[in-house]
Amino acid sequence: VCTSRFWFNYRHVANTLSVYRSVKRLGIPDSHIVLMLADDMACNPRNPKPATVFSHKNMELNVYGDDVEVDYRSYEVTVENFLRVLTGRIPPSTPRSKRLLSDDRSNILIYMTGHGGNGFLKFQDSEEITNVELADAFEQMWQKRRYNELLFIIDTCQGASMYERFYSPNIMALASSQVGEDSLSHQPDLGIGVHLMDRYTFYVLEFLEEIHPASQTNMNDLFQVCPKSLCVSTPGHRTDLFQRDPQSVLITDFFGSVRKVEITAETLSLERHGAGMESKLPEEELATEPLKYAEQLPVAQIIHQKPKQKDWHPPGGFILGLWALIIMVFFKTYGIKHMKHVF
Amino acid sequence: MAAPLVLVVLAAVTVRAALYRSSLAVFIAERVEVASPLNAWKRVVEGLALLDLGVSPYSGAIFHETPLIIYLFHFLIEYAELVFMITDVLTAVALYLAIQDFNKVVFKKQKLLIELDKYAPDVAELIQTPMEMHYIPLKVALFYLLNPYTVMSCVAKSTCAINNSVIAFFILATMKGSAFLSAVFLALATYQSLYPLTLFAPALLYLLQRQFIPIKLKSKSFWLYTLQYASLYLCSLVVIICLSFFLLNSWDFIPSVYGFILSVPDLTPNIGLFWYFFAEMFEHFSLFFVCVFQINVFFYTIPLAIKLKEHPVFFMFVQLAIISIFKSYPTVGDVALYMAFLPVWSHLYRFLRNIFILSCVLIFCSFLFPVLWHLWIYAGSANSNFYYAITLTFNIGQILLISDYFYAFLRREFYLTHGLHLTRQDGTEAMLVLK
Repeated sequence: VCTSRFWFNYRHVANTLSVYRSVKRLGIPDSHIVLMLADDMACNPRNPKPATVFSHKNMELNVYGDDVEVDYRSYEVTVENFLRVLTGRIPPSTPRSKRLLSDDRSNILIYMTGHGGNGFLKFQDSEEITNVELADAFEQMWQKRRYNELLFIIDTCQGASMYERFYSPNIMALASSQVGEDSLSHQPDLGIGVHLMDRYTFYVLEFLEEIHPASQTNMNDLFQVCPKSLCVSTPGHRTDLFQRDPQSVLITDFFGSVRKVEITAETLSLERHGAGMESKLPEEELATEPLKYAEQLPVAQIIHQKPKQKDWHPPGGFILGLWALIIMVFFKTYGIKHMKHVF
Repeated sequence: MAAPLVLVVLAAVTVRAALYRSSLAVFIAERVEVASPLNAWKRVVEGLALLDLGVSPYSGAIFHETPLIIYLFHFLIEYAELVFMITDVLTAVALYLAIQDFNKVVFKKQKLLIELDKYAPDVAELIQTPMEMHYIPLKVALFYLLNPYTVMSCVAKSTCAINNSVIAFFILATMKGSAFLSAVFLALATYQSLYPLTLFAPALLYLLQRQFIPIKLKSKSFWLYTLQYASLYLCSLVVIICLSFFLLNSWDFIPSVYGFILSVPDLTPNIGLFWYFFAEMFEHFSLFFVCVFQINVFFYTIPLAIKLKEHPVFFMFVQLAIISIFKSYPTVGDVALYMAFLPVWSHLYRFLRNIFILSCVLIFCSFLFPVLWHLWIYAGSANSNFYYAITLTFNIGQILLISDYFYAFLRREFYLTHGLHLTRQDGTEAMLVLK
């Protein structure tokens, strides 16, 4: 996700596209990638080389080629859309390419870059997402069984504040700088006139260039990428919510699509479905209609629990006191002799 | 005189009912000039809804009405439109009766002063005659009921109408001479919005005049009466506040109502002078300036009391105007209340100097308020300075109106005692100048 727009945020788009390319190179297809970009760099009138986005100086690597599939572009990159993609609460008319079709066996990589602060990330210069919202979205994902393990990488100023509030299991987080530090950009290119990449992502990419689908590099190596001498800011990471030891987690678990294939020479015979399976169903299981994807959370059951409305009545003492006073005032002004007319 | 009054009332009720049914009702209800955070109808509904949900309405910063309003509207919320129409009618009738009484008093006083030869010989044209005073009460009721400000205030269902009605009953009670009722209604008016406290002085002066007690600082009867009246007032105030405690069993309403009025935390734009100042002020100074602004409202009481001690009703008028100009959240309903009194001083017309310009300023500004609001908030091509300019101009217009009437009143009094054709010591014609 690249959360910035405008020409001077070129580097954020270059960051995101570079990570996108690496991830595609390592085997994840476009149908499994949700790319959110403002996408206003390649055709920007200020771009001296139209239809390109470069990520190295001297224009070595064009990360905006023919096969970049942007799922959410321009003004569709909003906090609402981002959270809807994560939690799956998407209107039924959304196309498949814009959905995160994950289940409880999926490992998800989330990479975010842009401008951030202590506890928030700015989206498109007009709204913000807070770390609390993000943590709650991840909790919703966990409760809806939308991920098995999640790796969250963020490259913004004070990025570590964004992962401080996570509380769902199986999340590992990396950030480019601690609270109070700014993440710095890497190199300006004098031909294009803006900074092309941020330091942290640049060094992460150098690291990823050496990964191939069969490599056994693990997360601890990723944590060592970009020490303070190269990055000026101190990268941080968080593994306390993750159940496996980071040493045993392969980079390709998140960045690549590596399937375990076992070749066997024997033949297996599969039974037909039907007779054997029915007895396994417990009798007390209710027959429910198959849930549509967008209805994974039983919202309807929750919102009908409105509190029962009790009417408020003023206390009896008050009414008594008030009317006694009014009657007293009335008789004081008009005299007691009127009382016999009232009764 | 009852029949024309009934006709006026019917016309007013028709206008209001027609506006309630039209689509303008929603538009008017949202205008900031008509509904302030203190008396907006939306907030009353919100407070009652909170009560139904079991939460104290004072717990948020939304509801700033007194518990008596809660009690009133708890039972009458479905008939809210009727309630407001009836309130307006009651206010107008109260003002009508009050001014009728006042006319009698004025006439009696005039007769007394003529017989005592206190007037100069050539001021026959300045003396008020019963013929011209006959229609003044009707005009007052008319001015109040058919004033566009009042109509808008009623259609917006702003509780300013209730405040106005309490003040009108207070004026009626004072005119009738009943110190007890006047103290009770003044306590109610102060309880509703804090500022009618300043009306204590003119009411006291009027009652003293009616009892023929001379206002000398050494006179014992003066202090006795003052003490009586003050104690009546304070006791009723205390009783009403304690009664309000029993509605919700908490003292929450005191910071919510009076703390809110005095400390002005809500800076929604309105036709007053507070919001802009405090929107751009540093936190450091805001306490100081809040105190200065609030003292400004109460400050004019004493000098005016000294100057106008013979004319307490005019004093009351000026005080009402000062309250509605300088209070923390004024609305056009407050302006309408003192404007209803203008017919009472229509005999001052020949001495008013700037009446044409001022009426133009006031009318213009009333039309420009929604225009500049639209430009600022919706079109985005203006900013708050534009709206504040109109606010300032409107308030300057009001202040100049009041000072013009004040000048005219004093000038008439001077002419009454010194004659219309003033001559200097050497016999040439002199001009009266306000120093």
